[in-house]
Amino acid sequence: MAQHTILPDDPRLTAYALGEMEAVERAEFETQLQHDPVARQAVAEIRATVESLTGALANEPLPEPASRSLGNAAIIPGRDPRRLDGGLASPDGILGKKISFPQFYYLVAGLAAACFAVFFAYWDQHRPLHEVKKYVEMPQGEVKHREEVGSIAMNLPVAESAVLDGYESSSPTSATGNTETYAFHRDSDFQKPSDNPLSTFSGDVDTASYSNVRRFIMSGKRPPVDAVRIEELVNYFPYGYAAPRTEAANGVELPVDSQRAPFAAHLEVASAPWAPEHRLVRIGLKGREVSEATRPAANLVFLLDVSGSMNEPKKLPLLKQSLRLLVDRLRSDDRVAIAVYAGASGLALPSTPASHKAEILEAIDRLEASGSTNGAMGIQLAYDIAKANFVQGGVNRVILATDGDFNVGPSSEGELVRLIEEKAKSGVFLSVLGFGTGNIKDATMEQLADKGNGNYAYIDSLAEARKTLVEQAGGTLVTIAKDVKLQVEFNPALVQAYRLIGYENRLLAKEDFNNDKVDAGEIGAGHTVTALYEIVRVGEKMSETPGVDPLKYQTTKAVALADGEGPASKELLTVKIRYKEPAGDVSSSLEFPLFDRGVRFADATPDFKFASAVAAFGMVLRDSPHKGTSTLDDVEAWGRAGLGSDAGGYRSEFLGLVERSRSLLQ
Amino acid sequence: MNIEPEKNHVGADTSSFVQDAVARHQTPLLHYAARLLGGDVDRARDVVQDTFVRLMAQPPERINGHLAEWLFTVCRNRSHDVLRKEGRMRRFEEGQAERLTAADPRPGRTMERNEQHEAVLRLIGRLPHNQQEVVRLKFQNGFSYQEISRITSLSVTNVGFILHTALKSLRQQMTAQPD
Repeated sequence: MAQHTILPDDPRLTAYALGEMEAVERAEFETQLQHDPVARQAVAEIRATVESLTGALANEPLPEPASRSLGNAAIIPGRDPRRLDGGLASPDGILGKKISFPQFYYLVAGLAAACFAVFFAYWDQHRPLHEVKKYVEMPQGEVKHREEVGSIAMNLPVAESAVLDGYESSSPTSATGNTETYAFHRDSDFQKPSDNPLSTFSGDVDTASYSNVRRFIMSGKRPPVDAVRIEELVNYFPYGYAAPRTEAANGVELPVDSQRAPFAAHLEVASAPWAPEHRLVRIGLKGREVSEATRPAANLVFLLDVSGSMNEPKKLPLLKQSLRLLVDRLRSDDRVAIAVYAGASGLALPSTPASHKAEILEAIDRLEASGSTNGAMGIQLAYDIAKANFVQGGVNRVILATDGDFNVGPSSEGELVRLIEEKAKSGVFLSVLGFGTGNIKDATMEQLADKGNGNYAYIDSLAEARKTLVEQAGGTLVTIAKDVKLQVEFNPALVQAYRLIGYENRLLAKEDFNNDKVDAGEIGAGHTVTALYEIVRVGEKMSETPGVDPLKYQTTKAVALADGEGPASKELLTVKIRYKEPAGDVSSSLEFPLFDRGVRFADATPDFKFASAVAAFGMVLRDSPHKGTSTLDDVEAWGRAGLGSDAGGYRSEFLGLVERSRSLLQ
Repeated sequence: MNIEPEKNHVGADTSSFVQDAVARHQTPLLHYAARLLGGDVDRARDVVQDTFVRLMAQPPERINGHLAEWLFTVCRNRSHDVLRKEGRMRRFEEGQAERLTAADPRPGRTMERNEQHEAVLRLIGRLPHNQQEVVRLKFQNGFSYQEISRITSLSVTNVGFILHTALKSLRQQMTAQPD
């Protein structure tokens, strides 16, 4: 007997369908829903209604002047905007109070009117007559309307105001100019374990920097230093680390609780090829593999930038091809929706089962580029659809494809990041696919992916699309652990100084390691994460001095430890890893100690050699002070020694790239 | 020597802040204001311009983070002012707005598939005004319950109730149409 605990008039149905419920209430409501098929049906219907509403409203024309019904216009007076606080104050209890407009208004209105009059006088002189009509004559046809709405010239006085001069000279970027931006990173320096025994960073598998660097080199340009992020170069390549539940390599014993861990750790140490007196430590993590057949059902929302700037062969057409590749890989129980954003955002395809492949492909074919980029509206819409079709325990993911130039949108970059951060709490993950050249906002996209619990890949060719969306589809789609943080503790009895290679913008404070509120990197199924430390052992002469004077009052307790018989004294370092299950809020932790058996570089594994070669290449490109004696010849020799079986041919491609870069580094 | 560059710098900052805001929000705001003002696009344009002039008087750092919300709130209040001055608005008592239903008859039963969007818009246009406003803020402008609550000064519960009621009647009317 069906028991109707939820009445059809219950507004929680709508709040739930729209993803507007707090986690606790939502969980409670879901339990009720399980026993109430009628309510479940209502939720499904509400979502269907919302989709057609969103689609229809995206193209809504301006209202017709309603001459007879002006008296019907009804607004309940709004609130004093001075008290807008971004959500800190309780919004309840405002309705019903008599709201009078505060004197503030008259004051500001007076001032504003004065300014306004000045502007208008100026503006009117400069306004061609025909522009006035633009506002009134709105096209009636819906499709046409949409294109023109983007170009309604409001011609606000600010745009021409003499008071605000200087604006024109500072106005951004011509259409042809190169406006790529990269955030500045400084190479990490050597640290002393006596000063900083802990090194903490966020595990990360972004790979965008490598494909971007490749694009520069292939087009005969030296990549800008800050476009070279060494950890992304190193992590671009697949390494043969064993997945969890197998024997760990190099004598590292797995702790018992790691049997259930979503990834395995593989540590290796040998001499650093660019400074043979230094040791190089490689930390390799390998995520649990999830096969295409056994992965949970996917609810994907493609959020596609179809603004005018995407209208280039390497952008929208490549994006369409890439999507076709991915759609071909989907199972019949997956769902796909396509949201687009340009001047206005809209739904190009409501959430559709992947079994209706023809419909999905047709929607992809119909995409066209035009207008400017309103990123935030699109993000809002995409997450709404993702939440509306949320698959419990499944893959819920927004895939954002863009050239990253969010030039129109209700937000500054910071606001965009804040929006994504808020949305990430809903359990929907994010993938960012970067496209094209000329105005990549590399830092923005990387930041969005990081804050949105996601990954960022740069797609410059169909081959790259195949790598990201087909070969590594599992890793791109299925997240097996989130907020993965690594903390390495060095034994000052053996380590004089250490340096983390790359990860400059992923460093965390040591306190962040145990703080579950601090966001960190995600690991996808089958992904590998590789980090390298360069170490100067005690007794070794250091060629460069670290920035701080030796401490006067600190004694190194660890010396005593080394003299004693403690079991930990022979360890070089200990790697601690914290992670959360994809749906979890509480982290688990793993520990792996490492002993140095004095292996030479020549005897290291091919994976170790290859990762060293890539890191050295990055240091050469960055002209890092730590590159030691490395030359491109060395990079090539080390890379060749680490070629291994080279599945996919990525390592050979790397060697080709090193060759191409010779002429650029003269 | 260092006075002038500084002055220019501040001016350029504020100007690009307002300029960005204009580029991003003028179209959605114009739509919003035009609805509030019963389709009077000219007056809506004035209100939106006035909204941006007010924005110029604000230090950007006070508004950053909830710019869209601020603009919609001011735009709404300004529209209210205009209507009130011209005596075109009837004040609604608490709760009355929710009880209002549209007087227009239900739409005809003939609906072509390719006219579906138009039909949906027609259905929305027949909702009571307060429901229309909340529906548009949610599904056209993408605001959350919280944000709508702050723009309209309705409580969050109220927003949820209005939206639920609107969706329910839309759903019923849409399923009443032959597909």
